[in-house]
Formats: sequence, structure tokens, C-alpha cells
Amino acid sequence: MALVACFLAPSLLIFLLYRILPLIWNVVLSFEAWSPLHAATWVGWDNYDEMLHDDDVFWQALWNTLIFMASQPIGVAIALGIALLVNSDLKGAAVYRTIVFLSYPLMTVAVAIIWRWMYNERGGLINFVLRRLGIIHQPIAFLDSFAWALPSTIVANTWQVLGFFMIVLLTGLQNIPPHLYEAARVDGAPAWARLFRITLPMLKPSLFLCAVISILNSFAAFDLVYVMTNGGPGHGTELLITYIYKVGFGQTRFDYAAALTVAQFVLLLALAWLANRASGGNAGALE
Amino acid sequence: MKRRTFLAGTAATALACPAIAQSSKKLTFLSWNIVDQADMFKRWFAAFTAEHPGVEIEWLDKKGPDLPPFYQTQLAAGTPPDVLDLQGGIGIEYAAQGALLDLTPYLTAHPDVKARFNQDYLNNWVWEGKTWLVPFYVAKTLLFYNKPLFQKAGLAGPATSFDELLAHAEKIGAGGTDQTGFLTLNFDWLYWALFKMNGVDLLSPDLKQPVFDTPKLVEVTEKLAKATAGTAINKISWTGRWVEPLGAFASGKVGMLNAHAPAYFFLKGQGAWINQDTLGVAELPGNWSVPTLHGYGISKGTKNPDLAWAFVEFCTARKQAQEMADSRRVLTAYTEVDNALMGHLEKDEPLAHAVLATQLEHTDKLCGNWPLPNDSRIKDAFYPELQNALLGRKDAKSALDEASRKVARELRRA
Repeated sequence: MALVACFLAPSLLIFLLYRILPLIWNVVLSFEAWSPLHAATWVGWDNYDEMLHDDDVFWQALWNTLIFMASQPIGVAIALGIALLVNSDLKGAAVYRTIVFLSYPLMTVAVAIIWRWMYNERGGLINFVLRRLGIIHQPIAFLDSFAWALPSTIVANTWQVLGFFMIVLLTGLQNIPPHLYEAARVDGAPAWARLFRITLPMLKPSLFLCAVISILNSFAAFDLVYVMTNGGPGHGTELLITYIYKVGFGQTRFDYAAALTVAQFVLLLALAWLANRASGGNAGALE
Repeated sequence: MKRRTFLAGTAATALACPAIAQSSKKLTFLSWNIVDQADMFKRWFAAFTAEHPGVEIEWLDKKGPDLPPFYQTQLAAGTPPDVLDLQGGIGIEYAAQGALLDLTPYLTAHPDVKARFNQDYLNNWVWEGKTWLVPFYVAKTLLFYNKPLFQKAGLAGPATSFDELLAHAEKIGAGGTDQTGFLTLNFDWLYWALFKMNGVDLLSPDLKQPVFDTPKLVEVTEKLAKATAGTAINKISWTGRWVEPLGAFASGKVGMLNAHAPAYFFLKGQGAWINQDTLGVAELPGNWSVPTLHGYGISKGTKNPDLAWAFVEFCTARKQAQEMADSRRVLTAYTEVDNALMGHLEKDEPLAHAVLATQLEHTDKLCGNWPLPNDSRIKDAFYPELQNALLGRKDAKSALDEASRKVARELRRA
């Protein structure tokens, strides 16, 4: 027992020092008025009161975060489609698999810069192609319009994680015993029945893992949004995480940023609990 | 050597060690994205430490977005850099938060140092009657224009009024599918000259009340929004940061660009079309401009304030300032240095000379440089609402009403 404790102690100490203590300090800070140059004073619920009743940017950022999060299953669905394709007898499947996966190891900042260029209203690739094909006559200001900015960042985010989800789902697909399909074929089950009766039920743990990871990632999509739009235009793509950064480091309001962080933490906690409940207490586990 | 003598010697050496260690002083200098001048700084540090034996200089350079978080974490840790280079209104914000040392006593004690600088630029760092930074290098906005596009649109030269500016932009924007008439940088209030030329101010003279929410600004904003909805104003004006707007102008498809002088060197590097015959430079109508200044400040938490001041004095001295001006082709607000630089450029680089000449003119007509202790919060309260109006999400009146409410709230909090 003592030996086990000795092995665990360094990890636990680091976890305590870099996770638990900052978390506790953050919660305390959210009830204080504090800056790096002034001693903390207790202000009770003032920061939360401002957040809930006098900060429309918080509500906008929360709404955007929820939309960002709700859009994540689309990426998982596309990844599933690609995984099914590259898992088939398709010629050159290995090449496609590599191409799709290539987006994942790319630095998010690089992804954001590439997409920013592709979305450019005047010289961007997407507008160029759409106009050449005659689909549009006027260029679309993807990142400069309120209607398009958030969906455009979601597309870029989905593209980046597609490769990772594809690999996870592909692994799940390859773990499905082939004799199940053979038996289904012998019984005359059509392709859609094999998909819905065998593939999807057997893939449930992988799909669940992807869904949980994608939802959690949507709360941390800081770098992509920061580089692509910086939360604009007019907070149109502001996420809680970018807003927390701006309030803390842009406006030097670490106390209020701490309150926003607690709000995000509570939301994440609730989602993690829901995910765990939905998976029967087995969220994120691969069978 | 007797044992007793040896022990006494050892003890004396041991006792002397802390004194030796104390005589060695370390200065930390935090600069703002100027790592390209590493060789120059190393020469300066060597020269300064030769003049101040026992002083060691640690140099840290951070890119613009990284510097404020870095500095704040250093403040929180109680280890702020002794000397730092700050850009824009952030210097006054840090001063108001108590992070910076008041340089007024040093400037009073060294009138020769104060006299080095263009006082209009130096006064940008006065808050509550005290000077918090001194100029490192300075710039302000000007109008770059694409002469071939002007000719193509049948325009003789730059506009002399706001309405004429928009009319020019519209004519140029109508000239081709991918052509737009006007672009502006939008960070650090760099667009404010567009409002100031219409007589609109952000705040009352005592900086306590928002005064921008007027029928005039509603009218100006509506005109800008209309121009942005078409091809007169490029939308990147209101959403881009530095690279995108400058890249768009450098592509040769934008008629005019409101940007600060350092943009010229970026444009020249990017736009093959740019030369003395094709790039025009002028003041915006009314000669209004917005400064973007870099200044040296000293952290209040420094353990060696006099040494830090000596370092600032050294860096802003004639020799060093001239080296900086010549190598980067920037103005330093040190009048003699800038005059010497302009003398070289007039012969060697006439276009750069024309650009920098605008920076020395009308320095009494700087705007958008309010000494606000909460500048970033005011910006965050104002600008997103302005974006809402300019990009068509809200009508100008509602957006400006909301901006006024938010700015007033931030002013109350301060």
C-alpha cells in the first residue's frame, strides 16, 4: 500500500498543484475584486450579478458556445460516412484515409489562417470557385457577415477534427466481427439493415467517445476562433472561452473572468454528467 | 599558511560574497515584437553594461498579443520587468492600475531628456498631469492611395472632405468586380479620424461622459454602412487586423488605405506595383490622424528605478535613437534624430521620405488617443456596436445608443 502511495504521490501532487488548487483559487477569485496590483477584496456575488444581469456579451458568448457544441455531431456523422467509405473495398482507401487524417495533426493556428484565406471575400478560394461555377454572382463575406461568420468557423473546426474522428470510428468498425455481416448477408439483410442493425449498435462506444470529445473540444476552440475572427464581428462568433480571455488579459479583469470561468466549468460539469448518465456511467469508454 | 589565517581568510571571503553579489544588478527589458533588431539591442546592452559595470541585462521580446498576458502574469508573480516597451493606450491603462513608475521626476531632473522629444508625441503619455512613458518609436495614420486606380476612376487626387472621400471610394469600387475603394485599419481607434473629421468626439473633454451619440455620427455611420454594403469600403476594414487589410491593399485592388506609417514597409514588401509613381500618400481630410506609439516605461515594482531610468535615458539618447531610426526607418520623436533620418531618406528613398513626412506634420491634430485608464474596456464597449451598425446587423441609431449606454457604464465603473 505504501509502495502504491509512493508511486501515486508525484502524479497526485502535480494534479493537486496544477488542477485542484487553481480551480479552488479561481472559485474564490470569482467572489473578489482583484488585480495583479491590488489586494483582493470580498465582493460576494457582484461578479455573478453583473454576468447574469448586466452583460449581454456573456449571453451571446454562451449562446454561440451552445451552437458550436450542438453542431459537433455533424462532424461525427461526416466522419462516420468517411470511415465507412475507407473501410470498404474502395480502391485507394488507404490514400483517402491518410488525406482525411492529415487535417488533424495540423496546428490549429495554421488551420485558422488557411481557412481565413479561403473564406476571403475578394481573393478567397471558396468565393473564386463558387463564382467560376456560376453558383453565386456576388462574393460572400463569410467571416465579415453576421449570418455567415459562426457557421464558417464551425465548418473550419469540423474539418480539422474530421480526421481524428474518422480514425476512432474506423478502429471501431474494424473491431466489428466480420461473421456478423456474413450471417446478415446469408439471411438476406439489405445494406441499410446491416448499417442500422449491426454497424451503428456495435459502434456505439466509439460514437459516444467522439461525441463527448467533440462537445468538450467545442468549449476549448479558442485558438481557431481567436485567429479566424477574434470573436467578431460584433461578438458574432464570441465563445465563452474567447470572452474569458478578453476579459482577463485584454481588460485586466481577472476577477470577472474567474466568474465567467466558473460558469463555463458548471456548464461543462453538467454536460459531462449528462454524457455519463446517457452512457450508463460508461462515458468515453471503448469496449 | 597557518590554519587560523586560512580560516580567517575563508570567513572574510564568505562574508564578502553577498556584497559582491549585491553589487551585480540585473535589469530585465521587455520589448514588443522587435526581435528583428536583436543585433542592435545586443550592441546597446554591451555599451550600457560597459558604462555600468556589474549590470546584467536580460532581454525578453513578446509578440503584440502575447505581451499584455505575459506582463500581467509577471506582475501577479511580483517579478515585473524593470523596463518595458508598450504600444498604444495600454501604457496609460497600466499606469492607472499602478503598474508603472511616474517618470515626471526624472524628466524634471533631466530637462535635456525631455527636450529631446516632440512634445505632441510625448504628451500622449500624460495622465493626471504625470508622464508615464517616453517615446521609443512613433507613428500616426495617413492615407495611402493607389494612383493607377485613381487615374482609372478619373480622380485627380486625394479627397479634402469626408463626403468626397466616400465619393472617391465609390467611384473606385465601381471599377471592377474585385475592386474596392477604401480600407482602414481598425485597432487602437485607428479609424477615429473618419469621425473626427466630421466633428465627432468620443468623450467630453473631462473624459467622464460619452458624447458621440449625436445625429451627426448616426449620419456618418449610415454613410459608412452604406459604403460597406457596396464596394466603396472593403468589409475587412471593420473586421481585419493588420495583415489582411494591408495584404488587400498590397494586392493593388483597393483605392485607398488609412493606416499608420509602418504599414508602408509591409506594403512595399508585398506589392510589386508599389513605387513612387504608383503609390500616393496624403493626410486624411482635415489633417486628422491617430497615433500608434511605442514608449519606454519603468515598472513600479523595479528594484533599481534609477538604473532603469539610466537605461531608458541611454536607449533614447542620440546615438541609440539614430541607430534605431536608421535601421528600422522609423521616427523616434527625437527631433534631431528624425530630422537626420529625413535628410537621408529624401536623397535615398523619396517615397519613404514622403510617408514619414506626414508623421511630422499636423502632430497637433492627433485624435483617438484619449488618456483613458480603462481604454480597452471602452473599446470593447464601443467597437462591437459600431461593427453591428457598419456591417448591417443593427441600424446606426440603435447601435450607437447601445454603444453610448455601454461606454457610460464603463466610465462609471472607472
